[in-house]
Amino acid sequence: MAREKKVEHYDVVIIGGGPAGLSAAIYTGRARLKTLLLEKSLIGGLATYTNEIANYPGFPTAPKGEAITNLMKDQAKSMGVDFKLTAVSTVDLTGEEKIVETFRNKYIAKSVIIATGGRPRTTGAENEEKYLFDKGISFCATCDAAANTDKTVVVIGSGDAAIEEGMFLTRFAKKVIVSVMHDEGIMDCNEIAKEAALANDKMEFVWNTVVSRFEGEEHLDTVVLKNIKSGEEIPVKCDNCFEFIGYLPNTELFEGQLDLTRQKYIPVNDKKETKLEGVFAIGDVTEKWLKQIATAVGDGAIAGTAAEKYIAEKEIFENKIMQSEKPGLVYVYNAIDAPSREFLGTIEKIEKEQAGAICVNRIDTYKSNGLAVMLKLDQVPAIVITREGKITEKIYTLDEAAIKKAL
Amino acid sequence: MKEVMLDCYGEACPVPLVKAQNKIKELEVGDVLIVQIDHSCAMKNVPEWARKEGYNVEVEEIDDGEWEVIIEKSK
Repeated sequence: MAREKKVEHYDVVIIGGGPAGLSAAIYTGRARLKTLLLEKSLIGGLATYTNEIANYPGFPTAPKGEAITNLMKDQAKSMGVDFKLTAVSTVDLTGEEKIVETFRNKYIAKSVIIATGGRPRTTGAENEEKYLFDKGISFCATCDAAANTDKTVVVIGSGDAAIEEGMFLTRFAKKVIVSVMHDEGIMDCNEIAKEAALANDKMEFVWNTVVSRFEGEEHLDTVVLKNIKSGEEIPVKCDNCFEFIGYLPNTELFEGQLDLTRQKYIPVNDKKETKLEGVFAIGDVTEKWLKQIATAVGDGAIAGTAAEKYIAEKEIFENKIMQSEKPGLVYVYNAIDAPSREFLGTIEKIEKEQAGAICVNRIDTYKSNGLAVMLKLDQVPAIVITREGKITEKIYTLDEAAIKKAL
Repeated sequence: MKEVMLDCYGEACPVPLVKAQNKIKELEVGDVLIVQIDHSCAMKNVPEWARKEGYNVEVEEIDDGEWEVIIEKSK
């Protein structure tokens, strides 16, 4: 049944349509790069799981996450970004051409930005698999709250998401029972949420507990909690259960091609570069201290700009610096260094003497060292000599005689 | 290999998912089910469920806030 995959070329392919990916798309789209954003389900990512976003600057009315990400999507669309709602099946990011495949298409890109984010972590308790999504276990209060009107729900966890979404659920459900791992009164969430939750009479807390197993005929009807101190089992009758116990990074696709941290996050530098040239990673999938919409869009801006620079430099590198028509002289210097600046005069003199027989390029690394990296230089200033598009010599001293000899 | 349209416009979670699950049981391997939805919550659980079942899934955005989830019953 294998059918021929349709092949399409892009400058940038962004994997993941959460705030980080959308922000990167806005930047690359605006830089007039042909950009494709791939999202496996809903544009907006995990932000759409949140009913109120109170701390994203510029939105004082605390709108739904989806309201904010829909605006980001409109903005990216107006920049000419293509969207495709499908899952990525495989990637090959190791070559010059980056290959991203979906079940029907093969995309070839100059640069790839990984913004695959995370997915809700599950408890791993007995029978959990049986009740996921529509059979009683949910990860999205915003999605499923209305279906729980006048019902009893169990919330697992005590972080910001658990408590804030739990309080949102009290607007619909008649009772919200929260299983907290810690001692009475201790929660992982912020103080404001904690106070409000403790004062909310629809909320009930079961301290020192984790989930032991899930029970029910077709649909979940009981969550059996276990007291971690006494070992006692506490069956809690409920209609649905919401789990908010953190996230796991979506990095399975990249295993073996990118290095991952022990927790399977992608390490990046301050330009959001991974260890593979032309491959960037941003947002919740990267190892970072704070995972918020505000930090995700910042990551996206950096990676979008870095990808643009990378593609531009790559083009200059291939078409100008590594030209094969004439012997080449490449002077790589940093304009803030006075002796390097002065040596520009000597370079000009050599260029005149050669009277068009050689091709001279000058690269100032002050703003970006991308080309110096592509030339694999140990230090700057440096003079690189090329013949027929290949590097024949690297000179790390500003020595006119040595250059002339090498030419 | 036939294609079946399932109209879930105007329906909120979990109705589109339940309808899709019931409908796909009637289909044969190789058939394609197209679920039409306009509730964004269904954009999370319908594709997620279908991928978990091992089916091929692709989503088309038909209009602002209207989607077609294309599910190929691949096994």
